[in-house]
Amino acid sequence: MTSAEVAIERRGGTVVAHLSGEVDMTNAARVREELLVSVPNDALALVVDLDGCRYLDSAAIEVLFDLARRLGRRRQELRLVLAQSSPLLRVLTLTDVQSVAGMHETLDSALAQ
Amino acid sequence: MQWRRAHRYRDEVATRARQQAAVADLGQRALAGLPLDDLIDEAVACVAGELGTDYASVLELTRDRRGLLIRAGHGLPPGVIGGVLAVRADELPGYALESDGPLVVDDFAEETRFGPSPVQRDLQIVSAMAAPIGTPGRRFGVLGASSRRAHKFSPDDALFLQAIANVVGAAAERARTDELVRDSEARFRELADTTPALMWMTDAEGSVTYVNKGWLRFTGRTLQEELGATWAVGAHPDDLHELLSRWREATARREEFRVEYRLVRADGSERWVLAEGLPRYDAGEFVGYVGTATDIHDRRLIEDALRESEATFRDLADSAPVMIWTTDERGLVTFVNAGWLDYTGTTLEEELGPSWSLGVHPEDAPAVISSWNEKLAERKPWELEYRLRGKDGNYRWIVDRGVPRYEGGRFVGYVGTAIDIHERKTMEARLREVYEREHTIAETLQRSLLPERLPRIEGLEIAARYLPAGHGNAVGGDWYDALERADGRVALVVGDVVGHGLRAAAIMGQLRNAFRAYGLAEISPAEVMARVNRLIISGEENAMATVLYLVLDRETGDVTFASAGHPPPLVLSSDGTEFLEGGRAVPVGAAEPGIFREATATLPPGATLLLYTDGLVERRDASLEQRLGELAEVARDADGGVEGLCDSVLMRVVGERRPDDDVALLAVRPRPVSTGSMKLALPAEPESLSVLRRRLGRFLHAVQASEEAAYEVTLTVCEAAGNAIEHAYGPVDATFDVEVSFENGTLLAVVRDRGSWRERRGTHRGRGLKIIEGLMDDVQVTTEADGTVIRMRRRLAA
Repeated sequence: MTSAEVAIERRGGTVVAHLSGEVDMTNAARVREELLVSVPNDALALVVDLDGCRYLDSAAIEVLFDLARRLGRRRQELRLVLAQSSPLLRVLTLTDVQSVAGMHETLDSALAQ
Repeated sequence: MQWRRAHRYRDEVATRARQQAAVADLGQRALAGLPLDDLIDEAVACVAGELGTDYASVLELTRDRRGLLIRAGHGLPPGVIGGVLAVRADELPGYALESDGPLVVDDFAEETRFGPSPVQRDLQIVSAMAAPIGTPGRRFGVLGASSRRAHKFSPDDALFLQAIANVVGAAAERARTDELVRDSEARFRELADTTPALMWMTDAEGSVTYVNKGWLRFTGRTLQEELGATWAVGAHPDDLHELLSRWREATARREEFRVEYRLVRADGSERWVLAEGLPRYDAGEFVGYVGTATDIHDRRLIEDALRESEATFRDLADSAPVMIWTTDERGLVTFVNAGWLDYTGTTLEEELGPSWSLGVHPEDAPAVISSWNEKLAERKPWELEYRLRGKDGNYRWIVDRGVPRYEGGRFVGYVGTAIDIHERKTMEARLREVYEREHTIAETLQRSLLPERLPRIEGLEIAARYLPAGHGNAVGGDWYDALERADGRVALVVGDVVGHGLRAAAIMGQLRNAFRAYGLAEISPAEVMARVNRLIISGEENAMATVLYLVLDRETGDVTFASAGHPPPLVLSSDGTEFLEGGRAVPVGAAEPGIFREATATLPPGATLLLYTDGLVERRDASLEQRLGELAEVARDADGGVEGLCDSVLMRVVGERRPDDDVALLAVRPRPVSTGSMKLALPAEPESLSVLRRRLGRFLHAVQASEEAAYEVTLTVCEAAGNAIEHAYGPVDATFDVEVSFENGTLLAVVRDRGSWRERRGTHRGRGLKIIEGLMDDVQVTTEADGTVIRMRRRLAA
């Protein structure tokens, strides 16, 4: 069984979603729903903290693209937090996620923007 | 303004750990003696809470076994609790009563085996689960959870429901036993007080805790005067020494004992009595003796008198309240007294000659005749307890005793006396029955708490044995367990709860659950011990257990282990045998804070690990070192894999007789991924992906891939597999194959499905291919007659 957990907090005008566990095609749709409903209209940006994430597959990456698209329509921004040493980094780079979301090494730097 | 909201997905491991903690918690409360009603209330609240269902309930089978009383419920509308449903095999509750495990209904609309109960129908239940409570022969009822909305229950949820049902079942059984024991204790006292025999009971130290009315009448003392004293009070001073030394001898060995001595009667006269005692056990612990004293004064006088003169003897004999007989030198009856004739309802003529054995119970006759003939031939004293037919046709137990008679040095036959001991025998039998019943219940409980079969763990040969203690010893609280952690390691545990009987067996169940919950949490062995220790200390039971907890890496053979006062595990390999010393600390439950240590070792390739409890090696007649030496020797000679090892060890270390204490054995042998390749076929469904990830994780760990490489290879193989799953069509049971091999630093992965490769629709699937191509050095997709094959190659850093 694939399991993931989403914990949401609000920091001023920004919503921070801590995504942990594993996301693949079995739970990507649920994760997307959780993330979408966590962002109210008045929020300026969604920061998805991927530090606790052990596994993301192409379905999960598609969720990030979809999220960026939907938020963009509401003029809200998507930022991702991922340490430079994370094994996930190469895959995100390879799929060009940085073209739709700002990449940050720490949560503080994502919030400072 | 800050606000915080958490959405939680059910994390498999966290959920399982939490459910097991809930089971352990409920078990603790059951052990703490929470009344059954309260326990059942907590059980339903816990089930509804953990599973997130609208309702949970406990239905109890009525005495006539035709109805199910709604005994407790969570979320049920008013008026439902207390109602009775008919037991119907075509409805879920009735069906669950007959099943041997939990039942899951995703949607009643699609359920063909049974329908909902009338209450469930009224509540418009869609999804439900039900688990039987109690063992098949002794069903207590059913535990159920149900929901008005469609609810998907996982296999873990079903196991959780059954575990809660088992706790309720054990508690209900315990409540029933307590009642039975109380009942038989009361019956025993009633019987004791109405019997003419003299009866007494002592505690483990030998102080009198009870004497019956017959005893008080005899000695003329009050109960207050007798209690607390040693029962030797009142013995004739000349007999005191022998009496006490026999008593000490018997109690030290907890054996039955018997002694004849003179007891001072209320009127000041001295009477010869025969005192006999049996050791008493409660919940398996020795708690003292129960015994009788029989007035044998007349018999003694008669035996003495007989030596004086035959005439005085006959006079005396006929007026004596006991049964008396004599034989000639051939063993033929020459006389029986009035007491005997009064008992048997026969005439003197009928009894004379060789015919006396006719009234003996057919089951006892062979033993009576053979022992009599044997003693007669040797002219030795004869004594036996057997059943003799009375004048009303019923058999009663008597103790019959004969001694050889001599006249002027010439053997002339036997003189014998017999005493009716029927009440005493009946009482002994009832006591035995009570202890026997407790023994059986504890053993059943123990078995129900042990895993019926060990989980199949890939890459591990595993065998286990559990041998209950021999007859007359209460069962102990031994257990074993094995579980696969998500990090590719395996946790093994063997433990032994201090004490015996129901309580130990129940505590064992709680500890096993606690070790499961903490063992899955991937914390170090010493930390697991520390947490379990805290759990025990914070509980109300004064439990203590020796435990060996070990984490094994199947690939490297590395083990980390902690021993809480437990004997060391044995390693067997081509190098010989070795006990894993180290990592030792006190038993869990002994001290808080407990300081637990752990040690590490590496198993040689092909080695087998044997874990056991001390029932295997502890024996009164041999030192521990000697027994460990024997164990190592037997293990070295064993063949036939882990199963053969367990068999040899049980056969040669324990031997024919059942052991004094319970024995649990767990043998494991890691089978590393040594061939450098793995191959598996999985159903073409998304759920297979997590299975595939675990298997790949183990393989990549074995070939020492870096964390980054392991992730990237896993991702690409799973992307290819995801493609196979999306394209699977046709028969529902379609599968796909994955083969991975590693040679000369290069990894080759092949994913084969039975569909045809199609360019994925949408950008999402395009990304999958991009990932595969970006992360692998070489990718080839070929379409063959029966499906598509994706071959991927990647060089792994040395």
